[in-house]
Amino acid sequence: MNKKAKRIGRRRFLKLLAGALVYAALGSAGIAAAETRRYGKLVDTTRCIGCKRCMSACKRWNGLKVDRYELITDRETDLTANNYTVVNLRVDVRNRARRTYVKWQCQHCEYPACAGVCPVTAITKLAEGPVVINEKKCIGCRYCYQACPFKVPRFDFEKRITRKCHLCYNRIPLLNYMKPACVAACPVGALSFGYKHEIIKEANRRVQRGKHTGYILGLTEAGGTDVITILPTRPQKMGLVVAPKKRISQGLDKIRISASGLLAASVMAGVMHLYAHTTQDRDND
Amino acid sequence: MIKQTLQSVLEAFEHSPRFYVWISALAALIFMAGYALLASLVLSMEILEFSIQIPWATLVSAYIWLVVAGSGLCIINALGIVFGMHRYEMMAKRIIFLSMTSILFGLTYILLHLGRPERVLIYNLISPNFRSAISWMGALYNVYLIVIVIEFWLLIRTDLVERAGRAAGLTKTIFNLLALKKLDEWRMGAVVKDPRLPRIIGTLALVTGVAALTMLGSVFAHIESRVLWYGPYYPIYFLLSALFSGYALLLAVTIITYRANGDDMLPEVKALIFEMAQVLALLLAAGFVLTTFRLITGLYNPVRQEPLMLLLTGPFSLAFWIFEVGLMSVLPVFVLIRAYRKKRLGGVLWSSLMVLTGTFVMRYVFIVAGQIYPNIKEGLPSYLPTVMEVLLIGGVFGAFLLVYTLGEKFLPLKEKGLHQP
Repeated sequence: MNKKAKRIGRRRFLKLLAGALVYAALGSAGIAAAETRRYGKLVDTTRCIGCKRCMSACKRWNGLKVDRYELITDRETDLTANNYTVVNLRVDVRNRARRTYVKWQCQHCEYPACAGVCPVTAITKLAEGPVVINEKKCIGCRYCYQACPFKVPRFDFEKRITRKCHLCYNRIPLLNYMKPACVAACPVGALSFGYKHEIIKEANRRVQRGKHTGYILGLTEAGGTDVITILPTRPQKMGLVVAPKKRISQGLDKIRISASGLLAASVMAGVMHLYAHTTQDRDND
Repeated sequence: MIKQTLQSVLEAFEHSPRFYVWISALAALIFMAGYALLASLVLSMEILEFSIQIPWATLVSAYIWLVVAGSGLCIINALGIVFGMHRYEMMAKRIIFLSMTSILFGLTYILLHLGRPERVLIYNLISPNFRSAISWMGALYNVYLIVIVIEFWLLIRTDLVERAGRAAGLTKTIFNLLALKKLDEWRMGAVVKDPRLPRIIGTLALVTGVAALTMLGSVFAHIESRVLWYGPYYPIYFLLSALFSGYALLLAVTIITYRANGDDMLPEVKALIFEMAQVLALLLAAGFVLTTFRLITGLYNPVRQEPLMLLLTGPFSLAFWIFEVGLMSVLPVFVLIRAYRKKRLGGVLWSSLMVLTGTFVMRYVFIVAGQIYPNIKEGLPSYLPTVMEVLLIGGVFGAFLLVYTLGEKFLPLKEKGLHQP
């Protein structure tokens, strides 16, 4: 075959290019559709007034217990099986005059580490975005709490299972655009709910428009989350749990770690064989 | 049979007050654990947690301590049955029985820790998560338990047949059933009697046991959010610690059993015990080297430095230096060397007990300190387990000792000479 025949001609090149474009468009259509279908929640801490109506609405919708003082403004509360969301006052460690109310809850990771470790597949990431615990399946091992980079799922000592925010998934599938209970209750518009790509656009717009430099939490943390939080400064300066800016507890990483143990086991088997071989004469004594 | 068993227990009580005291003490421990369990069911499971922020604490530590030692026994047993060291085969029955009971009661600890233990078997079977180390660990330990039960049955089958031959009536039928006497009439009988079968089953036990142990280490090592646990170090260290805690458990239990029964140890068994003591000293030294390596590499790593300082100078420093370094690594090595030179079983016993105590504290520190960082930076007022936790752990351990004691009494666990049938 001569060199000329090997060369790709102009017509063939254009055909290949067109084919590649059509393939790319068709192939990515599914992914694009899935991405646009995904919902997200925007938490704008710069607008929050700390009224805790979101906490109250969450408890009402989910039938959770209310402690006597926890709904009082400025009262420090922790996530529990009866507190799917909390609002706490956080102070910037470098500028103590900067005080912000931070709403904290499950961040609904795109690649949830909790779902990856649950031994009985009780935790699922729904296509719409929420990470949901199946309470009828949960065995109460609390492995999800250990794996969560934000330390969110909490154990319910009465029901003996783990519980957390489910992004009101039982309101979303009705397809009547009902917002999660907390978003619907917010009186100052600090919470918004919608398609995730629109939420991210809105977060960027608010930060660019704002007077101070802001930080958008959830774009890269733990590989990206479906709850986007606008903070006045970096999370570590506000005493929040800092998650690594990458997808965590991936399958390949788990295989690498377990393989190291199996490799060590094979070395151990070799040493055992050596021990048996070199001390064989003791059996005959 | 029931009448005979009762009679032998009553005779044992009559002839040995020590046995009576021992059984009563164990029964008291079990009773107190029953109280703690009942209280946790009636009041709240919260009484079994020393801090809500540390959901894995004493029960999980006790689980790892006992199960890892049981897995270590499985590896030690393979030296005889799989790798052909005949002197280790003398102790095979005791090793397998001890491994079986320690894993069974270790798993009891984890079942008590779970919120809904009744769901585990159902959902781990019908919807397991292949990405989860706990799922793999549970499945592998279940398979391992089945395999070692078969292995143990193969070892004691001859004895069961002999007992059936000596007995009459219902007892004979029960022993025949336990020995599956009918198998001899079928083609399977030849398979059961095949001398290669224990080696095959032993190999299977070794593979499943080591795989389960690796997955147990991976349960912690997979968690990227826990800096102290994460990485390939722990599956390797679990393997090594399984070996030294397994040896320590075996040596302690064997020597105590012989002393309690007032039996004379065969010279070849004694020689094997001193050989095991040598191996234990070597393993402890290797474990110490691995710990030092982890500390040095960790201190140079800015991410791991802070959690490691919890062990070195923080609230766990006392437990780390006294128990993990002193009692588990350095002191027993010297005691073992001295005991080996002077051929004293007492030294071996004390060092084994030191290793077991040190290992328990090491597991506790590993579990609790691993959860402190990064989310509880301000620290907790106390890191000690609650009374209820201690009662529950003591009771399950008491049940483990009770089953072992009864096994020792009624099963042919005692070592026979190398050339005895």
